[in-house]
Amino acid sequence: MPWAISKDRKRMVVLSVDGVPYTLITRLLACGELPNLAAIVAEGSLVRYNSTLPWVSSVAWATYMTGVNAGKHGIYGFVDRQPDSYKTFIPTARHIRSETLWEYLSRQGKRVVVMNVPVTYPPRPINGILVGCFLSPNLEKATYPPQVAEKLKELGYRIDADPWLARDDKAKLLDELDLTLAKRAEAMFYFMAHEEWDFFQCHIMETDRLHHFLWQEMEEAHPTLAPRFYAFYRELDRVIGRLCSRLDDNTELIVLSDHGFCGIQQEVYVNHWLAQQGWLKFEVETPQSLADISAQAVAYSLDPGRIYIHLRGREPKGTVSPGAEYEALREEIASAALELTEPKSGERLFQAAFKREELYHGPCFDAAADLILQPADGFDPKGAIYKNTLTFKGPVLVGMHTFDDAFLYIRGHQIKGGTWSILDATPTILQLMDLPIPSYMDGQPVAVKQ
Amino acid sequence: MTRDQRPIEHKGFTVWFTGLSGAGKTTLARGVEAILRDRGMKVELLDGDVIRQNLSKGLGFSKEDRDTNIKRIGFVCKLLTRNGVVAIASAISPYREVRDFVRQDIGSFVEIYVKCPLDVLVQRDVKGLYKKALNGEIPNFTGVSDPYEEPLNPEVIVDTSLETPEESIAKIMAKLEELGYVPPAPQQAVYSADEEKTVEERLRALGYI
Repeated sequence: MPWAISKDRKRMVVLSVDGVPYTLITRLLACGELPNLAAIVAEGSLVRYNSTLPWVSSVAWATYMTGVNAGKHGIYGFVDRQPDSYKTFIPTARHIRSETLWEYLSRQGKRVVVMNVPVTYPPRPINGILVGCFLSPNLEKATYPPQVAEKLKELGYRIDADPWLARDDKAKLLDELDLTLAKRAEAMFYFMAHEEWDFFQCHIMETDRLHHFLWQEMEEAHPTLAPRFYAFYRELDRVIGRLCSRLDDNTELIVLSDHGFCGIQQEVYVNHWLAQQGWLKFEVETPQSLADISAQAVAYSLDPGRIYIHLRGREPKGTVSPGAEYEALREEIASAALELTEPKSGERLFQAAFKREELYHGPCFDAAADLILQPADGFDPKGAIYKNTLTFKGPVLVGMHTFDDAFLYIRGHQIKGGTWSILDATPTILQLMDLPIPSYMDGQPVAVKQ
Repeated sequence: MTRDQRPIEHKGFTVWFTGLSGAGKTTLARGVEAILRDRGMKVELLDGDVIRQNLSKGLGFSKEDRDTNIKRIGFVCKLLTRNGVVAIASAISPYREVRDFVRQDIGSFVEIYVKCPLDVLVQRDVKGLYKKALNGEIPNFTGVSDPYEEPLNPEVIVDTSLETPEESIAKIMAKLEELGYVPPAPQQAVYSADEEKTVEERLRALGYI
């Protein structure tokens, strides 16, 4: 059936683009690089808004898809600790402890198609189609219902570009990013045309990959790679143009990102710093994993900038007492982190430190890190267990996430003035679809309905 | 430390256990209740025997009274369900028509048929009721002197003469997860060892671990 939509019912399309900074697209819009986006920006609102803390895709998109803070949905990063052990695990859709937007819409009788949104593997059943994200080990297991995988294979669909390609040759990664985008767009247009839907979301992951591996080349105007960086954006803009030509006036359109990006000056190994300060000790000289931690350790860190106090009764070898000792240690680490500077340039490495109760509330609160350090732009905090240096800069990973430079675009509606974040996206989607916003959601609708 | 220990936000639904007296409805309902609570969900158990002592006090066992009792339980389940609570009802509920009425009325409804052959129930006779019923001491006793209409299309059938309570509970939980009412248990492994390696390598390449 054609996608020209003749029905009266309100529909919604969300195009999510991972890690696209507001400042980058406004610059590209200003130089005329994105004509299709420029055309729709003229008939809607585009604002800068915030990510989540930490500012990684898994937390940001879990927050987006549930409309609640991490204290309620339970996703705090790409890696987390198993309770009562030093084992870590990869949080997935199965660990999201709240209803997702698409589950809610399914329950309202809406049919949904959702493609590639981070932390949607393993696929949870919905009324419609779900294609899992880059946490899917393979395409066969990535979809709900399972038979959708066959169609995707036929279309040459790819879950993600292989990020290891960047180690060998960044041009090869670009080839793969171009191809992955093309195949993703093809699958998106196929499902738009052949499926019934009230809500359709396609997520573009390629922008995040492009930025991680080519941000510096873009900033430094690399002779061959920078033009390809911009060519990728022009192609994405053409996809937006094709998408818009298929939407009628009854279909709302939102384009949004989850965090910003900037170049990496230095990676910062937080556990090395904790060890230097005497807060982190191991039982062996070159520890392989957290399990090698010593009973004398009082703190450790997971990516990015999440600090855990080695607490008695929570960690098996933890000795820090809850209460005054715990509080004093958090204060001490937070103040020291805010004083910490890059050895050569003297620049501060962290701009803010948050106690978990300042950021999260809800039934998953206890799983949160005790302290969350927000880095200064350019200094990327890493969770490596053991490194013999505080900072490092390599040639491969050259871009890092930022907190306050994501964007939200809504076609045909103004956006209220204020400071918004990705937490407000789902209440806004429900507002535009004329659906009740569940009272437990933590964000608020930000559109001024026309 | 914890500021908010409220249960997780989730959608409400009703799990309705139907079956003969002594088949194991209450045991299974309590087992499911415990698991759902453990997963942070808000749950209310409505046990037929308990309801008859308060909400339906005075009602007898005629078809009309039985239907009234079930409609009352169904009404409470509806209120709970629409307020985001999991309502678990455990009642013989012998008549198909009123069960289907309750299903329609509630919407998010999962029917569990707790099946057990009569001869096994008579042999078990935990409450000593079958003996009395067979002796004619209890009139209108379902399965003996009153009909039981089996569900035609329940979401789950458990046979407690063949399955252990743990097996039946696991079957019910699997269905609730499959239907999307309950998020699967987090401790259940998402990846095989090889799959986990694949995904970890991808995250490592991106600098996330």
